[in-house]
Amino acid sequence: MEIRDILQPEAVVAGLKAPNKKQALQELARHAAAVTGLNERKIFETVLERERLGTTGVGSGIAIPHGKLPELTRLYAVFARLEKPIDFDAIDEQPVDLIFLLLAPESAGADHLKALARVSRLLRDASMCEKLRGAKTADGLYLLLTQTEAQAA
Amino acid sequence: MEQIAVVNVVLLISGLLVLLGIASSLIATRFGAPLLLVFLVLGMLAGEDGPGHIAFSDYRLTYLIGSLALAIILFDGGLRTNLTKLRGAVGPAIAMATVGVITTAGLAGAVATYIFDIPYLQGLLLGAIVASTDAAAVFFMLHAGGIQLRQRVGAVIEMESATNDPVAVFMTAILVEIILAHGAMSGGGVETAIAIAGRLTMEASIGLVGGLLGGFAASWTLNRINLPGGLHPLLVIATAVVIFSLTAVLHGSGFLAVYVAGLILGNRPMRAAASIVTVNDAATWLCQIVMFLVLGLLVSPTRLLAVLAPAAILSAFLIIFARPMAVWLCLTPFKFSNSEKGFVSWVGLRGAVSIFLAAIPTLSGVPGADLYFNVAFVVVIMSLIVQGWSLTFAARKLDVALPRVTAPARRVELDLPGQLTLEMVGYPVASSSAIMNGGTLPRWARPAFVIRNEAVVMPAESGALQVNDTAYYLAPPARAAQLDTLFAEHTELLSTDEPFFGEFLFDGTVPLKELAGFYALNLGPAMADMTIAALFSSRFDDSPEVGDHLRMGTAVIVAREVSEGVVTRAGLQLAASPEDAAVSTVRAGFSRLRRLVGLR
Repeated sequence: MEIRDILQPEAVVAGLKAPNKKQALQELARHAAAVTGLNERKIFETVLERERLGTTGVGSGIAIPHGKLPELTRLYAVFARLEKPIDFDAIDEQPVDLIFLLLAPESAGADHLKALARVSRLLRDASMCEKLRGAKTADGLYLLLTQTEAQAA
Repeated sequence: MEQIAVVNVVLLISGLLVLLGIASSLIATRFGAPLLLVFLVLGMLAGEDGPGHIAFSDYRLTYLIGSLALAIILFDGGLRTNLTKLRGAVGPAIAMATVGVITTAGLAGAVATYIFDIPYLQGLLLGAIVASTDAAAVFFMLHAGGIQLRQRVGAVIEMESATNDPVAVFMTAILVEIILAHGAMSGGGVETAIAIAGRLTMEASIGLVGGLLGGFAASWTLNRINLPGGLHPLLVIATAVVIFSLTAVLHGSGFLAVYVAGLILGNRPMRAAASIVTVNDAATWLCQIVMFLVLGLLVSPTRLLAVLAPAAILSAFLIIFARPMAVWLCLTPFKFSNSEKGFVSWVGLRGAVSIFLAAIPTLSGVPGADLYFNVAFVVVIMSLIVQGWSLTFAARKLDVALPRVTAPARRVELDLPGQLTLEMVGYPVASSSAIMNGGTLPRWARPAFVIRNEAVVMPAESGALQVNDTAYYLAPPARAAQLDTLFAEHTELLSTDEPFFGEFLFDGTVPLKELAGFYALNLGPAMADMTIAALFSSRFDDSPEVGDHLRMGTAVIVAREVSEGVVTRAGLQLAASPEDAAVSTVRAGFSRLRRLVGLR
């Protein structure tokens, strides 16, 4: 499972503007709708439903919202760096500015978990996050997210 | 002068034997051999037929050592038992200790009569001798394998072993009396039976009362009288011996009395608890070693050979038929599951008590008493080998152990003189412990100081804990042990490069069904309507601990915060390592196969 298999360059946003968690998720859903061709509202509701079980703000300013949609045929991701960090009810109660949205087909099962684990591992790397916060453009972000793993492998 | 030389030689030999016992424990644990068996074999090797050539046949001394050792072991067992854990185990344990023992003795007696071709009364005597499970063996073996039994099963087995000795001792004594009187008492059967039941009730009542009084008196004395530090543990052990012997002198059951006294003392606030437990631990070890060594010395292995085959048949009958029958009879009314009954049946460990009871006919001068002793010895060895060795395996197979591997905690406990509400506990800090991986300290634990690089650092300056620190806390004695879970090493949770408590955090109130949808968890039929907290409660017997974890498909749920025995927050480790997944697939296959065959 590699990031470049699930993340397209056009699904990366630098400087997303959102005042709170709900609107940030709405914005991400809009971008996800653009790459997947699915209904924006449906995506938003799926992700929000998952947040109700427990926050996906994993700490250190990172959130990994996710959900399963029966209409999908493969995994899709959207990455956004927020212009300003927002409150996300994160585990460590710190504001969040790096959000990686992951959407999986209903049948994904283990693949979905592997992808989540992969993303989580990538964003746990403090120097990676530092670079992501310093990158100027969406292209820069995309390169960072996809290149490191080529080096690692 | 010659007398003195003899004493010195005896001391030398005794000391060497105990040292050998301690050394052999190192080897035995490596092979998973039951330690008590090792001590017994060591005694046999040192004995008349072994290379040691020590001729020892003092039944009276053996009886004395055995009584003392059993009293101390039973007392220690009571002392370590949390009374709240006995909930629901008292009834079944008493049924097993009475009806169970009598049933086992009757069945074994009938078979013994046939196998050895002896009169029924003598067969019954043999049955009575091997009827009771052994507290020394049970207390020891249940905790040796690193497993934690489900509360009810563990409590029933322990309590049964602690309370069934009086019945077996009594049956043995009565039967010896009858045999010596040449069946003179066998006339009025019903009257005799009533008289026997009456005396048994009497002995048990005196034992119970003696234990209660003794326990409270010991607790009161210990907490009110100021003694030089080292005398507290000694006071406790001496009191135990007095409770045992005084009750026995008063025609009560001394064994029952010391166990009850231990229960009382151990469940009340206790001064110098740490040193008492430590000294008791050492005393119990010494008792186990000495008792089994002496029993091994006493037997003549060459004479065992003569009864080996028939005694082995009797032993097999006990293990395969008599014990399971008795267990089924006693535990079915209490609604134990088949696997629970199966395990309790399998763990009918025989030990010192049986050998020791076999000494009674010899001491009383029953003709042909050698037979009882030698047969009891073979039965005990068979039980230790067959049941002792397979105990951990059986517990896992029959699913009566908690899904948790317990590593011994490296806790340092310090008594704080002047009060009973707080003690100091210290732990070495390991990188694979919950506390270093996001676990939180309970509110009642107050940081005292940290030892870092051989210097004492106060909490204000220490900051976050570091690996290789030793952290000290003030905590209520009753709760201090709960900190063990935070400092225990949990390498299995770090088998992947995922965080200890997983990526995502959930409240204990989240229903599993909702999680299952997102993370492809394998839910069993009974789990569908449970919350995370309920799942942990059911799998860990209402006492989940931080770091307890359950694999569900490829994901693992880890208890992160536990409050009053309920998981309030749990983490989800997403992907297990591929090897683990393969193993769990194979396991799942096996359990499906078992269900197909109808074993569960």
